[in-house]
Amino acid sequence: MKKLILAAAALCVALGGSVARAQDAGALLDLLVKKKLITDQEAEEVRTELVKESTSTAAGKWKLSAPITELELYGDTRLRYEYRGGRTTSNSPVAAPAPGVAGRDDWEERDRLRYRLRVGLRGTLADDWFFGLRLETSTSNRSTNVTFGGDSNNGPFSKNDDGIFVGQAYFGYTGFPDLKLTGGRMPNPLIFTSMVWDDDINPEGLAEQWKHTFTFNFGGGGEAVQGYSKYSKEGKGVVAAPAGEPFKLKLDLFANFGQFIYSGNIIQNGLGPRPTVSSSAGDGTGQTGQDIPDTNAYLLAWQTGARLTFPNNVYFQLAPTLYNYTGDGQFFNIHFQGGSPHLTNAASMAQNQNGINSLLVFDMPMEVGWKLFDLPMRIFGDFAVNFDADDRAAAAGHAGGGGQRYAYEIGLGVGQLKAKSDWEIRAWWQHSDQFSLDPNLVDSDIFDSRVNMQGVAVKAGYMLADAISLNLTYSYGWRSNGNYGTGGIGDIPINPLDQYQLFQADMSVRF
Amino acid sequence: MKFKHLAVTLALLAATLSHVNADRLVIKGSDTLGAKLVPQLAEQFKAQHPGTTFDIAAEGSTTGIAAIIDGTAQIGMSSRRAKTSEVGAAASKGKHMKPTIVAFDGIAVIVNSGSPIKSLTKKQVEQIFTGDVTDWSAVGGSGGKISVYTRNTSSGTYSDFKELAMKKRDYAGGSQKMAGNEQIAAEVGKNPNGVGYVGMAYTKAGGVKAMPIDGAVPSTKSVQAHTYPYWRPTFYYTNGDPSGLAKDFVDFTVGPGGQRIVAQVGFVPIK
Repeated sequence: MKKLILAAAALCVALGGSVARAQDAGALLDLLVKKKLITDQEAEEVRTELVKESTSTAAGKWKLSAPITELELYGDTRLRYEYRGGRTTSNSPVAAPAPGVAGRDDWEERDRLRYRLRVGLRGTLADDWFFGLRLETSTSNRSTNVTFGGDSNNGPFSKNDDGIFVGQAYFGYTGFPDLKLTGGRMPNPLIFTSMVWDDDINPEGLAEQWKHTFTFNFGGGGEAVQGYSKYSKEGKGVVAAPAGEPFKLKLDLFANFGQFIYSGNIIQNGLGPRPTVSSSAGDGTGQTGQDIPDTNAYLLAWQTGARLTFPNNVYFQLAPTLYNYTGDGQFFNIHFQGGSPHLTNAASMAQNQNGINSLLVFDMPMEVGWKLFDLPMRIFGDFAVNFDADDRAAAAGHAGGGGQRYAYEIGLGVGQLKAKSDWEIRAWWQHSDQFSLDPNLVDSDIFDSRVNMQGVAVKAGYMLADAISLNLTYSYGWRSNGNYGTGGIGDIPINPLDQYQLFQADMSVRF
Repeated sequence: MKFKHLAVTLALLAATLSHVNADRLVIKGSDTLGAKLVPQLAEQFKAQHPGTTFDIAAEGSTTGIAAIIDGTAQIGMSSRRAKTSEVGAAASKGKHMKPTIVAFDGIAVIVNSGSPIKSLTKKQVEQIFTGDVTDWSAVGGSGGKISVYTRNTSSGTYSDFKELAMKKRDYAGGSQKMAGNEQIAAEVGKNPNGVGYVGMAYTKAGGVKAMPIDGAVPSTKSVQAHTYPYWRPTFYYTNGDPSGLAKDFVDFTVGPGGQRIVAQVGFVPIK
């Protein structure tokens, strides 16, 4: 009998995952000893055998340092076909067209086949610490894509642009109740939409996240629900009739704060007279001779919010956020101009497109979700206003243009992409004024990293398998206000970008 | 003829030497087992097996398990289970770590006998040894900076206690590492604010008292029933099933005579 029990115990454990086999054996063997079905000595012999067996498996050979309590390997690979095209304005050219010089209603188009790879490790450490590391292709802050055949030299299939870079490297502490502290180059800790942030951006700096959940019960909890039963195929009852559920409300209150180093590595209090913007850098901006700031630039984010969850998966979420900037940094120290329809395309492009002066942006992403016949649906939106738009417009040479301060989007999503055969469609309208948002952060695809654009976007996805998804994206946008350029630096070298189209077909493997 | 005498003499000498080697048992490892228990077992065993000699080195469980892997001892004493890495290392050298439970032990938390503390909870023990609390007033004492004494890192008790009592967390930064149980008991006995842990065999040292943990006193009964939270088996490790003299000594240890000594020394018999 005892041998049978030992054999059964060993079999049970052996059928488990190889990684956890020895640990699982401990609990099972302890139970058998406690029940006096086997002796301590017999348990010990089985335990040692299982440990020995586990060391011969692939998982058993993988060694982790002692402080790591949990480790996850994850990532994805994506193949993409992309078309994007942009059109000059009907006013262009100011100068006569020539090879390489824009003409009227002139389309520039790009067809690209691209790939990306992201591989990450994230885990928890002893004493409530955690860490994460993600390696990515591409040096771009807003993209992890590498274009096939995009190597500049050394013949076909070169590896010039196929490098691996550190996308995320962070660690943090969760030892205080409801609080998570993170430092490093991290996943964006804020709730946001693509109108304000490109989701490929991993901010650098510090973040503090607080979240507390309140649950409210109203009535119920007593009588069993009459007539409730579930049956297996064999007709046997497998689930007891549950008690009547109270009406539950769950309220998540959260606050996320970020102190991101926007532009650092600057020499403070340098020797000699303070340097000024040289004529070579400033000619195109009209800012030659301006003092070059000698302070780091920081982006500070202040977000609070709430998510209220009702029964039947109905929820509402609001996350008002304030973004402000301090300092001017090493690379964002020229006032934003954003292009002009009254210049040649080349001169318009040469204007400053990434200045972060006079940005005090209030942003409020929101979302309402529900299920219709088990189909997840949601309405999402975002509204942003730059309180310092007057100054930003004036600095760009558009005194009185401070009304161009708003950005908003509204959309509908149906379905979800979690497991095989899942599907999802999202469609939204998006509008951003020229002086409303930081053009260095906005999504690089939907409107080519630009502001002063508006239009529609549609995304559709289908899960071929639990790890394989197909996604199609289409967007069509046009210049929102004809008096201004379309600020920002994108893949289409046209400013103003009078019209814009994007089509992407992706196949992704997620692991 | 002379060659015949020489051959016979050499054969006799070789037989004598081989007889001496066969009766010599090399045992290495745990200080918990090797300081008192195993020497006394060895004395009793020698009385029953004249001519047997022992070479006992008690420098921590890690050294005992390493000795089995390296083949430098017939028996490795250990107050903890062999780690996965050690079992793997043995297997890679063609060795098979065979454990034999020789006694149970309770790791007793001791404080100075003059301390007003009457008992501790598992949570308080974790807080004390990890440094979450540093003053006795935080755990019901009358105040005073807690002095934590631990075993050194090669000790099986050091790692066992981390696993049993500290959720595998690190010891407090200021904890003082001692070479053996006797040293810990001596230091705690001298220091009114001292706290440490020792094998049950050492709780009768002068100037210390063992703390009940969550109401359970470390005793033979509570350890055998596994109701005292900080109990553990102690082991002899051999390369596969023991044979020859090693087998005789293992059998003696787990037999009635050996287990009597186990109890006399302050460990808990396996039955």
